[in-house]
Amino acid sequence: MQFEEAEERDGVRLSWNVWPSSRIEATRTVVPIATLYTPLKARDDLPDILYEPVTCKMPCRAILNPFCQIDTRAKLWICPFCLQRNAFPPHYKDISSTNLPAELLPRYTTIEYTLARPAMAPPIFLFVVDTCLDEVDLKALRDALVVSLSLLPPTALVGLITFGTMTQVHELGYGECSKSYVFRGGKEYTPKQIQDMLGLSGQNRAAPRPGQPALPPTAFGAARFLLPVQQVEFQLTGILEQLQRDPWPVANDKRPLRCTGVAISVAVGLLETSFANTGARIMLFAGGPATEGPGLVVSNELKEPIRSHHDIDRDSVKHFKRASKFYESLAKRAATNGHAIDLFAGCLDQVGLLEMKTLANWTNGVIVLSDSFATSIFKQSFLRLFDKDGQGHLLMGFNATFDVQTTKELKVSGLIGHAISANKKSACVGETEIGIGQTSAWKIASLTPMTSTAVYFEVVTPAGQALPPGTRGLIQYITHFQHSSGQMRLRVTTIARNFAEAGAPTISASFDQEAAAVLMARIAVFKAEIDDSPDVLRWLDRMLIRLCQKFADYRKEDPTSFRLTDNFSIYPQFMFHLRRSQFLQVFNNSPDETAFYRHILNEEDVNNSLIMIQPTLMSYTFDTPPQPVLLDSVSIKPDVVLLLDTFFHILIFHGETVAQWRKAGYQEQEGYENFKELLETPQSDAQDLLVDRFPIPRYIVCDQGGSQARFLLSKLNPSTTHMSTSMYGSAPAGGAGQAIFTDDVSLQVFMEHLKRLAVGASTT
Amino acid sequence: QHGAMGQKPFGLHTTNLIGVPIDPRELLRPPPEIRLPPGACLSQNPLANADPSYMRSTINAVPTTSSLLNKSKISFGLVLTPHRSIKDGDEPVPVVTDTVIARCRRCRAYINPYVQFIDGGNRWKCCLCSMSNEVPQLFDWDQQRNQPADRWSRLELNHSAVDFVAPTEYMVRPPQPPVYVFLLDISHAAVSSGMVATATRTILESLDRLPNADNRTKVAIIAFDVALHFFSIPPGGTEASMLVVSDLDDVFLPKPTDLLINLSETRAGLEALLTKMGDMFQESHTVGSAMGPALQAGFKLCASVGAKIIVLSASLPTLGAGALKNREDNKVLGTAKESALLQAASSFYKLSAIDCVRDHISVDMFLFSPSYTDVATLNHLPHYTAGGTYFYPAFNATRSEDAIKFAHEFGEVLASPIGLEAVIRVRPSRGMRMSQYHGNVFTRSTDLLALPAVPVDQSYAIEVQIEENLNTPFVVFQCALLHTTCDGERRIRVITLALPTTNNISELYSSVDQIALITLLANKAVERSMSHKMEDAREALTNKLTDILGTYKNTMTSAGSGASAALSICDNMKMFPLLCLGLLKHVGLRQSAQIPPDLRAYAQALLGTLPSQLLIPYIHPTFYSLHNMPPECGTIGEGGVILPPPQPLTSERLERHGLFLIEDGQTIFLWVGREAVPQLMVDVFDLPSYDQLRGGKMTLPILDNPFSERVNAIIAKVREMRRGPYRPCLYVVKEDGEPPLRLWALSSLIQDRADQLPSYTQYLTQLKDKVNGSSYS
Ligand SMILES: [Zn+2]
Ligand SMILES: [Zn+2]
Repeated sequence: MQFEEAEERDGVRLSWNVWPSSRIEATRTVVPIATLYTPLKARDDLPDILYEPVTCKMPCRAILNPFCQIDTRAKLWICPFCLQRNAFPPHYKDISSTNLPAELLPRYTTIEYTLARPAMAPPIFLFVVDTCLDEVDLKALRDALVVSLSLLPPTALVGLITFGTMTQVHELGYGECSKSYVFRGGKEYTPKQIQDMLGLSGQNRAAPRPGQPALPPTAFGAARFLLPVQQVEFQLTGILEQLQRDPWPVANDKRPLRCTGVAISVAVGLLETSFANTGARIMLFAGGPATEGPGLVVSNELKEPIRSHHDIDRDSVKHFKRASKFYESLAKRAATNGHAIDLFAGCLDQVGLLEMKTLANWTNGVIVLSDSFATSIFKQSFLRLFDKDGQGHLLMGFNATFDVQTTKELKVSGLIGHAISANKKSACVGETEIGIGQTSAWKIASLTPMTSTAVYFEVVTPAGQALPPGTRGLIQYITHFQHSSGQMRLRVTTIARNFAEAGAPTISASFDQEAAAVLMARIAVFKAEIDDSPDVLRWLDRMLIRLCQKFADYRKEDPTSFRLTDNFSIYPQFMFHLRRSQFLQVFNNSPDETAFYRHILNEEDVNNSLIMIQPTLMSYTFDTPPQPVLLDSVSIKPDVVLLLDTFFHILIFHGETVAQWRKAGYQEQEGYENFKELLETPQSDAQDLLVDRFPIPRYIVCDQGGSQARFLLSKLNPSTTHMSTSMYGSAPAGGAGQAIFTDDVSLQVFMEHLKRLAVGASTT
Repeated sequence: QHGAMGQKPFGLHTTNLIGVPIDPRELLRPPPEIRLPPGACLSQNPLANADPSYMRSTINAVPTTSSLLNKSKISFGLVLTPHRSIKDGDEPVPVVTDTVIARCRRCRAYINPYVQFIDGGNRWKCCLCSMSNEVPQLFDWDQQRNQPADRWSRLELNHSAVDFVAPTEYMVRPPQPPVYVFLLDISHAAVSSGMVATATRTILESLDRLPNADNRTKVAIIAFDVALHFFSIPPGGTEASMLVVSDLDDVFLPKPTDLLINLSETRAGLEALLTKMGDMFQESHTVGSAMGPALQAGFKLCASVGAKIIVLSASLPTLGAGALKNREDNKVLGTAKESALLQAASSFYKLSAIDCVRDHISVDMFLFSPSYTDVATLNHLPHYTAGGTYFYPAFNATRSEDAIKFAHEFGEVLASPIGLEAVIRVRPSRGMRMSQYHGNVFTRSTDLLALPAVPVDQSYAIEVQIEENLNTPFVVFQCALLHTTCDGERRIRVITLALPTTNNISELYSSVDQIALITLLANKAVERSMSHKMEDAREALTNKLTDILGTYKNTMTSAGSGASAALSICDNMKMFPLLCLGLLKHVGLRQSAQIPPDLRAYAQALLGTLPSQLLIPYIHPTFYSLHNMPPECGTIGEGGVILPPPQPLTSERLERHGLFLIEDGQTIFLWVGREAVPQLMVDVFDLPSYDQLRGGKMTLPILDNPFSERVNAIIAKVREMRRGPYRPCLYVVKEDGEPPLRLWALSSLIQDRADQLPSYTQYLTQLKDKVNGSSYS
């Protein structure tokens, strides 16, 4: 499919690949022009470009690309974005139509420059470790951290902050004994105080005595706390191995005092004074909720339960607003400085991710939710973070700035993804605001090859001023980032798409319903974070109906005449599942889970996002090869094994008969080899799914009728519900499938409603 | 004229002070004999009445009426050193171990050699209030052998000073273990002066000397500069971890455990830490001192147990609570405003002291600052918490003399068997009242002193008022010190002093203990100089002396109220005017615009705490002529090294070719005359000539010749002969050497005139004129 080819080459998928030529027409196409772009998409075929890019004059600064008009004789090029002429730099004097630099070759619409100026510092990893853990968890966490040291680049700087009742910053560079700076857990420290208290500001120092050498920088400043792994691995391993549980006593009716907020604020403060604008990750490992100090999410009284969605809905939560505000201010500072904050939760209960989510959301840190640090979900996810590419470099970029340029017909409405605005008020900034708007550049503190940002555009050409036929619009994505090798790199992707006049069939034919579903899902979730969810659902419905009204074939007021072309046909189904998904239906999950799910959705590319929106279901049975089946209760049959992938869960479900046989142990008996195979194939397929998944999904094996099966049932279209009979007075079709106890409407009912509304028929 | 009981009165010997040469050996004479009426004491034991080193009175015969006392102008007070050190050859205080403690039902006095047994020995009559009390059941029973015992051999009936092992009624909680919390300045000044290295080495070397008989002793170290550095060692641990707390506004403990560590259980870790600490902060260039927050941390750390907190500071506290400003101002020195500099600049130290006393925390200050450090303010904590202040101005450990002095004194303080969680109550016979207390104690109520720790060899002065006519032939003062020994035993030290009464002013004068009297007046003068003006304190002292002399002339001499060419005083007080002059010329009180306030404040602190044995040389230094001393001097005699005869404190005695030693217990000057012969220079200094000699602080070489050995022996004897931890440094002073050092040494010669301050002869003339010019009746 053409969309996927473009995605392979440029890491970009668009809702529309041919664009309406006027503002009016663009609004009529309902789904905005938007792109889901993966800046660091792995590309083995990119050439090494070891020179600086040629840029257009100020203020444009667009980068030379294959869509530029060039004049090889006059040694000039015309910027397609601002139409200024630019002279080639002197060293391009030998340029000719047969001797073009890579960035002008048509196949390099995506190119990556390695810049001459290296990063100011190697990547920094600052561990922020909860010590209010039980021994098993603490040991597992210590072990994982020790292992991670061997996975970091040897030059990477590491630091350690531990916290419980108080926060301790370990001075790894201190040779005489283990040394740490202790901060009170119950107090909010200003950045200046943190700086002074860690002795980073250089005040209070006597001048060196005459004749004595000036102090080595390791004697003060942040270099005492953050040192190259290769230098401190031994000492840090020792400290980690000696790490004890928080020593302060905890009464039976109390939670341990855990000053997560202070710990993070100290981490942010430590990095921002000394390492602003250089790549760093603060990795928080929280074994429970903050119960002390700023950022407290629940008091340490066990009789006070941690907040639920219902509490938040009723606006009856004590700490939620204040805590969220506190973490937001930290997130803002970290993001501004280009530092990512990762949140690893190892707790059966919530740890306050809802309040802390901006830390990861604004810095593109990772969130990993696990029941304990002793689980493989935690261990494997954490260590997977340090996977390396073919050259042995970590699969992560740091401290990125993401710029978007457009030709004049198009303006930027905003970005939805894990970033903050870089406040670039360029000519490309549009009036409409979607997501993080009012800017054409954003800061993304960390990037992985999967990081996908949704950028939304608007057409600004007034209806009266028709574009000449064949007009092409251009978008250029410029990602400036610190590579884990220590180089600074610049990835440039330039794409071009045609404009078409109102009503042209090329527009509807260019609709990428998968990309559109994901892009709309991001908008919906963005809205849901601000608005009430019923409003968001109504908005989604309205948008779907309007899209169908515009692009379906039908006769007015005749629902039976309703038809959608292939490239629109499954879009309503995506919307149906999106409406039912955990992203918008929050009450079956804890607030922490909701924050987690939404975070992941805003990170992934089209394919992974679609799995989240509409999980895949494979059915295995005797004598037929495994096949995808409808995500529908009709797919549940006694003699099948189902493999469900929701992205977050991988679930193997044994139909009633299979389950009975398995319990009876037939798979171990001779003559039942194919039964054995039936059980094993989905397991090995599940392993394949796990290979590059991040975070590691929860793996569930269950039987029909078992309690764990609810994970599957909640995802299925309730075509057969306990209501079905009474509502329609008929038995479930074919006697197959399982009734699901739900009040949700089925896809079928949803589609009926949609058709009626789209064609303008009465809905009663 | 007869005593109350008709015994032989004291012979009163009147002396004319004018023109009579001073013999400093007078100061070594014992106080006037206490002549109790026969039968007053149950025991024949010479120790049955108080030894002056434990308790002495300014008068050894108590006037029966306050009017007689007032008439005499003699100040009535007691000087108390209840926790006196026991040196070699000293009689230890006997211990009553059977916990049979007989006390008066009414006044709570302890039974003592001055009670009377009545009712066939079944009851005893209190010598303080006359109450008749039952003799306790087991009083005459030997509990160890389980057999009847001889009452008359009971220790408390034969000894003035006795320790009772206290039964549990005397405890509100189990006896506190000794706890030492070191607050160690690690700022640039502290490290670069070598204080940190010397202090940590001394602690390390003193670990075996710290009281720790039952392995309960606990130790903590908090280092401070602009932050607090705690050290945590788990039991059995060999490595300390350092926890830095920089939040000075709101001091907290970074850990609930392992900061206050058991010395025996964590010995290895502590030794390792102390070994490293000298180097650990070697690179510190931090300027600033969070001493106040460090104190707060120390209080928090040991509030539940009580402790000795030892502060070692080399800078003015500048951060957090208790921060001080440099208020040294040369313009106010010598003016009426000077006493402001001797008052506390911050209430923090006094207010903290109140909490400390409640929590049984005593604070010692070791101060090293190269510049102003506000000793006056910092001394408030030791002052109210029964601690001590030690001052090492311009300390520099690269000078071995400095390092040795500090290490010695610090080591002695650490090794001393302090008492803990103590209270002192002094009970007088009926008719008298304790009115005013002086010294490093906290006066909890009118008759109860609280001492979180009882340092060794500190003294307290107490003023006594006669409220009713005394109609007993003798009176008794009893001091009870309830304390926990550093070995974990609850004990009561009882010291009983019995004094005869008199209605005779002559007897009163002849019983005056001039040493006790000047000790009391020194305390009062120091307090007055802080509460009023320095000038007022000096005037009050001279007025007191004038009053005494005037009254004595009027009442005791034939001159009566007429003019007289003589200035008379009783023989037992003949050193008293010179001691007063010594006090007026002392750094602590002297009229001068040159004395830095820190030196002044430190001298005052010493004046207020030193026991008489140390205080007298501090006011009246000892002056020896060495070059011509008798041959036995400096050799070992019966009582150890034989000292030369002390000389009167006048420069007339200085000879140009001579070698002299002047010492006041805190400093030793070795004065070298400009014409010292080469042989003397060779023998003493190993130098060819006087010109080669450099003045200043030094260690005298020990050379292979008899004279060098004798001089060194005398210096060594001077250093060790008195109680107290002090180890004076030796300064070599050349007659034509640096003026400041010369003037300092010469200021010890208090009989000389110095600036506006009169010579002794001039002073006597002034006094005589005053006495003749006023009427005393
Ligand atoms: Zn341009
Ligand atoms: Zn009594």
